[in-house]
Amino acid sequence: MLRLISGRVATSLISLFGASLIAFVLLRLTPGDPARLFLGQFAGEDAVQALRAELGLDGSMFSQYLIYMQRFLSGDWGFSYSTGQSVAELLLARFPATVELGLFAFLFAFVAAVSCALISVYRRGPVSDGGARALSFFAQGVPPFWFGLMMLLVFFEGFGWLPGPEGRLGLRVIPPPTVTGLMTVDALLAGDWTAFKDAVRHLILPAVTLGLMPFGFLYRLLRANLEGVTREPFITVARGRGLTRWAAYVRHALPNAFLPTLTAAGLLFGQLLAGSVLVERVFVWPGAGALVTDGVLKQDFSVVQAFILLSAFLYVLTSLVVDILAALLDPRVAQSQGGGR
Amino acid sequence: MKRDWGRTALRRVWADKVFALALLIAALLILGPLLGPSLWPLSPLDMDFGAPLAAPSLAHPMGTDSNGRDVFARFLTGARISLAVGAVVVLAGLIVGGTIGVVAGLGGRIADSILMRLIDALAAFPPLILAMAVTVALGVGLKTAAIGIALSSVPFFARLMRGDILRIKTLPFVEASVAMGAKRSRIVGRHLLPHTTPTMLVQCASVFGYAILTLAGLGFIGLGAQIPEPEWGAMITDGLQYALTGQWWLALFPGLGVLLAVVAANLLADRLEETLNPRSARNQVR
Repeated sequence: MLRLISGRVATSLISLFGASLIAFVLLRLTPGDPARLFLGQFAGEDAVQALRAELGLDGSMFSQYLIYMQRFLSGDWGFSYSTGQSVAELLLARFPATVELGLFAFLFAFVAAVSCALISVYRRGPVSDGGARALSFFAQGVPPFWFGLMMLLVFFEGFGWLPGPEGRLGLRVIPPPTVTGLMTVDALLAGDWTAFKDAVRHLILPAVTLGLMPFGFLYRLLRANLEGVTREPFITVARGRGLTRWAAYVRHALPNAFLPTLTAAGLLFGQLLAGSVLVERVFVWPGAGALVTDGVLKQDFSVVQAFILLSAFLYVLTSLVVDILAALLDPRVAQSQGGGR
Repeated sequence: MKRDWGRTALRRVWADKVFALALLIAALLILGPLLGPSLWPLSPLDMDFGAPLAAPSLAHPMGTDSNGRDVFARFLTGARISLAVGAVVVLAGLIVGGTIGVVAGLGGRIADSILMRLIDALAAFPPLILAMAVTVALGVGLKTAAIGIALSSVPFFARLMRGDILRIKTLPFVEASVAMGAKRSRIVGRHLLPHTTPTMLVQCASVFGYAILTLAGLGFIGLGAQIPEPEWGAMITDGLQYALTGQWWLALFPGLGVLLAVVAANLLADRLEETLNPRSARNQVR
């Protein structure tokens, strides 16, 4: 087991090293001199030279890479050219909103996928199974930002049931004191029931929009696993003991169908991360994803570049943790991974 | 014999209504953009300041945008752009990723581990974010967006190709042809590559859908095509500010286009997988 974990950590480190090289090369390909960009076109030549030296831009490619990595790992991700603020500060301030949205999106995707997969496999009818499958194809084919906009048209413009694109809280609601940064949790901690309800109402549309693609993906995976598991002998045994088909499926088949989906959680995380860049802008959600799209609009790419490498780190880290968890929980996974490279 | 084969195929497609529907959408999405701009008289770029933001009517079936450009003409040209980028991405990804996969599968341990570490590094980014990174580095535009998406599709092809080659090269008929003294190039060309066709065909269909969806995403955040260019994603961005003030048609139609194209591609991939790889893990459980 220890060998397995250390091997997995080693491959993650190698792919992170490769990813950082790619990010570095892409950064150097970007046209324009970073020092000149930061100081503006009226700065003197010696000031630019001084900043270039300070940023390590006059060294060799190799030393530039080392400086780049050292800065990244110590949390120094440069400055935003448009506001002059440090990128790390900007991103950190925006992160809780993205995390909260991601959590709710995951919750929606998970609950919807489990119920749809159970219905598909339990009823097997053309209507329920076909309907759920059609839904999953829709979920994986629809551009999330467009779907969000259409949801706004229907539920905000049309019916007026849900709030429009105004961020995390309505204008007239006083935000609860910040403790965790998650609006719903903070509101509950403060005992502020109106703020909690308002925060949840603001979360519904963005969370469903962001969770749609992960839902389609999870559903297809769960449905296939569940189909396989329901044919295993232990389900027949459970039925033989007098359990109803539903109880046997929910209590015995479902937990076993989850295990293989755990390894796909890394991919799921990547979908949520990339999706937040697309979805947040539609709902004017003040998260890290919206910061990235703002950066693109203002041609202020330092935020975008920091986000790119950061997302690779988070993505690889999640896959690593998930793989180790899966190996700990399921001896079959450990076996198959230990047998591989 | 040949006619029989064609008739059986037709009958099978007709019996499978979902597949027939997917093929129909695909045919429409290919024929429409190819013939459309020559049949539809309005240009996607000509402005008509007399009719800005006009609702859908007979003259403008999808309405007009803020500069009075005909949305239907833009939709048709947008379909052309999406299809072209999809095709380019699939071809580039297949050639580059496929070659990497073949070399890694046949080239021995050192080549294998170097190439696969490279692929791991590419796959360390969520695909959309890798495409974003490339577009930011090479300069914003349709071409760089296509390059970025193609690069992000390379790991999909390379890993599948390597796995397939590793599996096929141990099959008895390949060993037999090695034993008979066939040249390496002949073994690869005549025995290995043809047997990867089913997997690669499925992968091409699903990457095609991925490419169209990602192109729209990049266009939406402003990294792909820029506004006057009638790309579907950029058109949705253009419609974003008008959607909640009543001009819903600007964003609705290009989004529908993306949805239809991607769902058709995914359905096609799904059915191809079912038909061509009946023994694959995905179909075992059905």
